[in-house]
Amino acid sequence: MRLRGLFLWDIRFQAKYGFYFLYAVLTVIYTIIILAVPENWREKTATVLIFSDPAAMGLFFMGAIILLEKSQHTPCAFAVSPVRPAEYIISKVGSLATVSFVVAAALALAADVTNLCIVLLGTVISSTIFTLLAIIIATNIISLNQFILWVVPVEILCFVPAILHLFQITPGWLRHYPLNVCMEMLAGFTPSIAGIFLVMVLIVFLFFLSKHCVVKMWNGMGGVKL
Amino acid sequence: MIQVSNLSFSYTKKPFISDMTFSVSKGEIFGFLGPSGAGKSTLQKILIGMLTTYQGSVKVNGIECKERTKSFYEEIGVDFEFSTMYEKLTARENLEFFRSLYQKKGRPINTLLEMVGLEQDADKRVSEYSKGMKSRLNFIKALLHDPVLLCLDEPTSGLDPTNSRMMKNLILAERAKGKTILLTTHNMQDAAELCDRVAFIVGGKICALDSPHNLIMSRGAATVTYTWLDNGEHSISCPLNQISSDEQLRKLIAENRLQSIHSSEPTLNDIFMDITGRTLL
Repeated sequence: MRLRGLFLWDIRFQAKYGFYFLYAVLTVIYTIIILAVPENWREKTATVLIFSDPAAMGLFFMGAIILLEKSQHTPCAFAVSPVRPAEYIISKVGSLATVSFVVAAALALAADVTNLCIVLLGTVISSTIFTLLAIIIATNIISLNQFILWVVPVEILCFVPAILHLFQITPGWLRHYPLNVCMEMLAGFTPSIAGIFLVMVLIVFLFFLSKHCVVKMWNGMGGVKL
Repeated sequence: MIQVSNLSFSYTKKPFISDMTFSVSKGEIFGFLGPSGAGKSTLQKILIGMLTTYQGSVKVNGIECKERTKSFYEEIGVDFEFSTMYEKLTARENLEFFRSLYQKKGRPINTLLEMVGLEQDADKRVSEYSKGMKSRLNFIKALLHDPVLLCLDEPTSGLDPTNSRMMKNLILAERAKGKTILLTTHNMQDAAELCDRVAFIVGGKICALDSPHNLIMSRGAATVTYTWLDNGEHSISCPLNQISSDEQLRKLIAENRLQSIHSSEPTLNDIFMDITGRTLL
């Protein structure tokens, strides 16, 4: 019940901050780009666009959301409320994954992708990974500059192998790299069991790490000047 | 409501809070007074379950703080010194959001807004609020779920005299309803007026713990200071309880020669300085 409430309020906050308006505009722009490229490029263009924006939006926006919350001291209020760190994280991951899902669906339909279900599942999984990474980074830093500094290496580690993988430039040992598996799914391919297993292991690891970081942030902030 | 025994805590190897023992009864307003860095914040963090690596025992509402679960907060309301609201949301939206985090139905939002005179501004964004309005909003946020324990940090800070009076009346009204209140303040007048008991904290230790009245009385009675003219102005002070034996005063009264006379009691601040050798700044 509380999780449902948190999820709905997160959606409401994001709407208030103009997040949905921004993504409505971006979706229109991306759709125009997809329709403008030659038909045989459309699916790959959509894959790159979905991976780099709706799927990865959590990496940028969740950082901004948490920094905004920190600036308004709301983590202190969560620290002394019955909200569990897991509920806080799930509602944030869920709310952004919902937007990612809707935007990715619009782009995938515009590109007329062959395996829509796999693409959308890949979007939700990628979005979860990127949002958890953003939570881990944003809970440990105190300024936007620091956030940008930390996000760049994470971005390189997540984006470069995956985009190279899309164009089949992958060393053997990176075959089951979780972000490559996500990219495969966004391209409409069914991933291997080993790939899916590693993605799940990564998500579980990031979830517990982000939980630890959220507890640290809540308790740390609450004592600043009580 | 609160039992603390042999509490010690340290951030490093050096003890920060050492061997504290005290208790707070249900329906009591208990004040923590001390200079910055004395350990008040750390003690409050322990009492509200945010620091759990302490030694000794700290029981709040029957629960050992280091073993608390998140449901512990269903019965605790914390009013921080700073605003903890979403600035883009209205006051009403903020209150609706924070109330949705609790299982208890709590108090009606409109009643709370009326209590602090914010009913006309309920649909304004918090970013448009003044510091005083934010303080009042923060206070009612702590009451949303009708907790049995309230932790208030400088609740009158940033309030004008009228709103400060209103806030103090609200705090007293909460006590009348049986709430236990922990108050941290630098304002000695507020502490003397509101608290049933206060603890002076310096260097991570409780230096004194009693009612403000007893603390004041324990350090000597009030004095009377009078002045008269006799080749220039003269002034003498004598203890209030020895006034009848002051011959000079009796003579001046008989001759109607007093220029001025006033009594003065030591303040809680004087007592604090007396006991700790420090000011609260």
